[in-house]
Amino acid sequence: MSNDLDASLRAALRPVDPGEGLTQKVLAAIEQDTAGQPGPPPARQSGWRWASVALTVALLLGLGTAHQWQVRRQERGLEARRQLIEALQVTSAKLDVAYRVVNDEEKTENGS
Amino acid sequence: MSQPSEPSEELLSRVLAGEAPAFAEVVRLQQRSVYSLALRMLGDRQKAEDLAQEVFLQLHRNLATIESGRHLEFWLRKVTANRAIDRLRREPRVETLPLEAADGVADEGSDADPILRRRLRALVARLPPAPRAVVLLRYQEDLDPTDIARALNMSIHTVKSHLKRSLAALRKGIEAAAQDELRSPT
Amino acid sequence: MKRQAYLAILAAALLLATRLASAGPPGQLQLPSFDSLTGKSSQSVNITLDSTLLGLAASFLDSNKPEEAAARQVVSGLQGIYVRSYTFNKDFAYPTAEVEAVRKQLVPPTWQRLVQVRSKDQDNVDIYISADRGRANGLVIIASDPREFTIVNIVGSIDLQKLHQLEGKFGVPKLQLSVGK
Repeated sequence: MSNDLDASLRAALRPVDPGEGLTQKVLAAIEQDTAGQPGPPPARQSGWRWASVALTVALLLGLGTAHQWQVRRQERGLEARRQLIEALQVTSAKLDVAYRVVNDEEKTENGS
Repeated sequence: MSQPSEPSEELLSRVLAGEAPAFAEVVRLQQRSVYSLALRMLGDRQKAEDLAQEVFLQLHRNLATIESGRHLEFWLRKVTANRAIDRLRREPRVETLPLEAADGVADEGSDADPILRRRLRALVARLPPAPRAVVLLRYQEDLDPTDIARALNMSIHTVKSHLKRSLAALRKGIEAAAQDELRSPT
Repeated sequence: MKRQAYLAILAAALLLATRLASAGPPGQLQLPSFDSLTGKSSQSVNITLDSTLLGLAASFLDSNKPEEAAARQVVSGLQGIYVRSYTFNKDFAYPTAEVEAVRKQLVPPTWQRLVQVRSKDQDNVDIYISADRGRANGLVIIASDPREFTIVNIVGSIDLQKLHQLEGKFGVPKLQLSVGK
């Protein structure tokens, strides 16, 4: 039955054709999207550019150092959170298997 | 099952070089799969077309992150399934059943019982969004549970659980329909 | 004679104290390394969350989201969650020795087997619970099917009703778990 159902599902869920036009619509949308994108920014005077780059780098370094420990704590916290959610998922999935088997057995007993 | 549609490395390198005809070829190769996934998730042709269009547009914007033809195929399925699930969560009242409209096209070249196929599609359409996506990625796209887990950001245990429960529900649905048929004279 | 009895009692007390110190909180098992499975599995999950990490994880759950608020409630009374899970591409050799080492710890009166299921699909699940004065303080799940082996140990005040509240959240399937079962 399981293999029959697998085969029937594969037959039932064969991909269907979107019909004419989807490719053209996609290409038109891409053309519009590309045309709408802003071009490269106008060139600035190089002195100003270097000053702004240096300022940005200094700011980033300062912020980076100040918040480094926060980031590390956040990384550990998010990893712990991910593991917790995964652990709850595994636990629930296994309890679910037990529940289904017990439930099926009860139904069979009540039915017979 | 999906026909072999993975873009060749040569085609992919042309796409990455910015050749528009090469990208059009990728769309042509992948559109059946993306559109079918969207259609069976959303249950509406127009919405499925819109979603497929958005997904290909997003692919075009993210071409730089694509590593191989296989990665591109996986990326498209992942993005389509997740966007469809998000959409169904945002619009929970979307009608998801008028899939009969797609039946004629879907039945081409299949030897299996057409009534059973139609019933199965209707039953799949009634599954909640996440299990429905799992079933479609498994049986329409032939992804294995590990890849489905990666695509839908679930644990493999949740994927297996969804598959087991969904198959049990589909089996029950088919049996119930068969019994109804026996009871009601034709 | 009296001195000998005194020494025997002292030795027994010391042994008990050493055991209690190495065993961790009640409800916590000494999990084997499962080395025999690690190299052969296609996917493995190894989660060790002690009370400190659980507290950290809980602080990153968003109370405004119902599913995360429910998880936070479940975690609030716990002292640890330990998961070892191995998935295989083909049928694997059940780790009899390691599981035996775990089962030896799961003995009455501390541990009671709550459920033992053996399905036609070869899904086997054993659930054990440990309790002290009527309050559950440990849960162990040993589950296997032909391509997967999982062991879960939850330590602390376990409220199955709260675990039940996680149904349908985080992709957790709807359980309709019968708490009294």
